Amino acid sequence: MTSTIQTALFIAIVGILGIFIFMIIFYLLIKGLDKWFPYKEEKPEQDFVLDEIED
Amino acid sequence: MGLEQLLPAISGMTWQHLVMIGVGLTLIYLAIAKNYEPTLLLPMGFGAILVNIPLSSAISQIDPATGEAVEGVLNIFFDAGIATEIFPLLIFVAIGAMIDFSPLFRNPSLLLFGAAAQLGIFLTMLLATMLGYDIREAASIGIIGAADGPTSIVVASRFAPNLLGPISVAAYSYMALVPIIQPPVIRLLTSRKERLIRMTGNNNKKISKKALIAFPIVITIAAGIIAPSSLALIGFLMFGNLIRECGVLNKLSLAAQNELSSLVTILLGITIASTMTAERFIRVDTLIIIALGLFAFVFDTFGGVIFAKFLNLFRKEGNKINPMVGACGISAFPMSARVIHQMGQKEDPYNYLLMPAISANVGGQIGSVVAGGIILTLVPLLA
Repeated sequence: MTSTIQTALFIAIVGILGIFIFMIIFYLLIKGLDKWFPYKEEKPEQDFVLDEIED
Repeated sequence: MGLEQLLPAISGMTWQHLVMIGVGLTLIYLAIAKNYEPTLLLPMGFGAILVNIPLSSAISQIDPATGEAVEGVLNIFFDAGIATEIFPLLIFVAIGAMIDFSPLFRNPSLLLFGAAAQLGIFLTMLLATMLGYDIREAASIGIIGAADGPTSIVVASRFAPNLLGPISVAAYSYMALVPIIQPPVIRLLTSRKERLIRMTGNNNKKISKKALIAFPIVITIAAGIIAPSSLALIGFLMFGNLIRECGVLNKLSLAAQNELSSLVTILLGITIASTMTAERFIRVDTLIIIALGLFAFVFDTFGGVIFAKFLNLFRKEGNKINPMVGACGISAFPMSARVIHQMGQKEDPYNYLLMPAISANVGGQIGSVVAGGIILTLVPLLA
């Protein structure tokens, strides 16, 4: 096995592991963002005004 | 006065030039008649004709009268836009502005297929070194498997500018051929029972606007901390996405998606063609690169499908992943997702795989850019 092939093999192993590590981190970030910023139904502006008047 | 003086282009024409003009015409035919990536293949095809007419002023020539070098406009474009990576990076801004990352928030675990389906890049790189290419050339050839034209151009222009022409042609041609390449590989690797698996998920889940705005910023910071060399690629993609999601730059977002994308695509295609001269293109290397590109796409599909099958070993019945969705982890968006959805519907007309397939496909768009960034980081360190 030549040194070029050895280097390519090393890059292949580190590279594929690296992409998985990146993606796992991105996965955790997405989970985190979804938790920190949950979807909230925005009230239509008119309802909001009416609520304030009722108060 | 002889014909040579009157029409020097005819006397200078060789069979290699004619072959390249034929290649150009083929690319134009594929773009128009078959609708294969017309935005890129048509300018590349026309450019291939433009640069293969002897003494073409579109590329740099030695003036026969004075003996001085006269720079051609396509070489000027190349030096300004490709060698500096400006054109592909501007395309990333446009792509970022086009991508909706909300499918990833609905099915975040499918992001992992964006990693598995990059397998072809690294196997191809390995194979290329076995065929005698040096590590920089091999990495540039392998990146065809990213199924992402701009990433291929960035990597090839940095590591193997001499191979940029065939690598670009292979990358864009195979992206267009996804509906032909992927289905037989998937059928070979999966049983009918697996292809019938239905996937339920949070397909209708609503995503907070704040999360979508924070996503490109957080990803850029995370990518920058882990691999700063990948920041040009990921950062420009995420910048485009932030313009899209912020909600206050709608005009810029539309401009990035339409005008910027169209303008840079025109320049990118025709400029790449400046590398498609007969002397540089008609070589055994070109055929090898085109064959290796196909190998990369096949093993991308293999990686995604096998990874899905592997995950299914640990998932309960009723919660399994349709392995076909794994194949969508490539960057060819939305073509790959559409192909998988259609394959699913062919097996079972009531099986709707489009949403999970799109989630995996968006993961593939990120995965390909990450793969490009990792290669840009690792190769200079080890070569």
